[in-house]
Amino acid sequence: MKNNLIVVALLLIPSMGFAQETKKLDSTAVFILDKMSALIGDLESVSFHITNSEDKLDAENNIIKHYSASDIFFSGPDKLMVKTERAEDEIGFWYDGSLLTYYNFNENNYVSLEAPETTLEMIDEMNLNYNFQFPAADFFYPAFTDDMIEHFDSIEFLGKTNIENEECYHIMASNKDLNVQLYCSNKTQLLPKYFVVIYKNKSNLQYQSTFSNWVINPNLPNAMFDFLPPPKAKLISILKNN
Amino acid sequence: MTAHLFNIKHKLGLIFVFIALAFPSDIIAQRMGHGASRGGGRSMSRPAPSRPTSRPASRPASRPTSRPATTNRTPSRSINGGQSKTKSRDFSGNSKNQVTRPSTGTKKAAIPSTSANGKRSEVKDRSTNKSSNISGNKVGNKTRVGNNNVNINVDNSRHTNINNRNTRVRTSSVRYSRPPYRYGGYGYYCHTPYYYHPYTPFYWGPVYHPWGFFITTMATTAIIISITNDSNDKEEYNYESGNYYLKTEDGFVAVQAPVGAEVPEIPKEAEKVEVNNTTNYYYGGAFYEQNKDGYVVVPATAGTIVPGLPDGGEEVKIGDVTYVQFGETYYQPIKVDGKDMYEIVEVKKD
Repeated sequence: MKNNLIVVALLLIPSMGFAQETKKLDSTAVFILDKMSALIGDLESVSFHITNSEDKLDAENNIIKHYSASDIFFSGPDKLMVKTERAEDEIGFWYDGSLLTYYNFNENNYVSLEAPETTLEMIDEMNLNYNFQFPAADFFYPAFTDDMIEHFDSIEFLGKTNIENEECYHIMASNKDLNVQLYCSNKTQLLPKYFVVIYKNKSNLQYQSTFSNWVINPNLPNAMFDFLPPPKAKLISILKNN
Repeated sequence: MTAHLFNIKHKLGLIFVFIALAFPSDIIAQRMGHGASRGGGRSMSRPAPSRPTSRPASRPASRPTSRPATTNRTPSRSINGGQSKTKSRDFSGNSKNQVTRPSTGTKKAAIPSTSANGKRSEVKDRSTNKSSNISGNKVGNKTRVGNNNVNINVDNSRHTNINNRNTRVRTSSVRYSRPPYRYGGYGYYCHTPYYYHPYTPFYWGPVYHPWGFFITTMATTAIIISITNDSNDKEEYNYESGNYYLKTEDGFVAVQAPVGAEVPEIPKEAEKVEVNNTTNYYYGGAFYEQNKDGYVVVPATAGTIVPGLPDGGEEVKIGDVTYVQFGETYYQPIKVDGKDMYEIVEVKKD
């Protein structure tokens, strides 16, 4: 019995390192994040426009910026529609609570997949299995602030600044791998206006997004989340990301 | 003895608990992690069988939640189930603070997929396939392409056979100057940039019979070719005018050319293609090398550009690109001098 207790004590020592972490948190920053998250959590539907730039390395390790623009529509817990224009093509996602369809406008082909029952579970699963990227999805997780606190060593409020004539609160979160700077707009009740993710250990590559055209609780018909294949559109197979 | 067994079980149990505690699971979904949203925060998961097949016109206004440690507001149709945050966020009136926060490591419960109407895409999974080839690439299909002569339905009007042995790819001897397209731990190498055009089976002329084409009697000019397959079984093919046939109960069905088959001549419609700085001939989806006795069917070589593909392939989305797949061979759609063509992709594990 004594031996067992020693074994238990030895086994639990490493896990204690995970259980307790010291964080540098700024109460103002956390308050702003909480307000933003609370507002998003109260939304029954929302639409917005987002422009992204993403840095990627080419074969010679030059940083190349890739731009895209998306219109995003959420309705209830199980409806999502995203249309994204990229340099090379235009794509769309339709999620109706049971089926996710990825359609490529340029190629006129699509993939339809059974999906989980809620938008966030769907995003998680599709991102994991097929690398599908849903712009700004991070902000729609219900425990966004807790997620930030969990994953970043420090969260600071850096002051107010103006972006596109909107007064914004500037928040910076960082850990050993990432530096995230988020600007929440006073004009839209602290909804995000701009954010940048800097990958510290990957040549400081950046992922940036600017939000605009926020519409709170718009009346979005269910039909807009059902995908109807255009004429001659082809249903094709897909390879899982594993 | 019983006491000894109990002791072993006891220790195994302790080791299991240790592993569970020492390695909390967490998934990075998009750009940031969301462990709290999954485990520590409010879960979006609903009870598995709660969804009726016919949904009522309006949903219940409240959804059951039981998370004593968090504050939950559950609007009826919130896009994310309502904000969730830990109650113990105490800054004691200071603007800057050091706080200690227990980590959350609970993983969300798996949600069974629902059934719904409408067509679904076939999902291919590399991890479930056992076949491989010399360049390390594996075929992704686990259900429709087998190791030897498994029927795949491309067109309901006929059956098409894909024999993986005949779709393996030889590596290119030419260095790739373009970076590969990366997806799922593999690099997809091509010399020519991706340029999508829809896959339409190529027609090689009146004597060409697409794979799956059925005839009841064989022409007297046909020759018999014996090939030993991977299972050391002998297969007899009938060859006639660039077409290969396998005998069935009722007649003969056209199949892909078996690698290793030697034929005295190939149709005049065969096109010359450059493969590793040598000239091959391409007809009906098969590659031929010329020798003193005639022509021998050789495996496809990565980097080869072909003008058209036969029946029997299928378009597969791999990340952002769409390839045409024949067994273990992927063809990238490209454009050369304004013409739609395909390049054979070299797949390498990263």
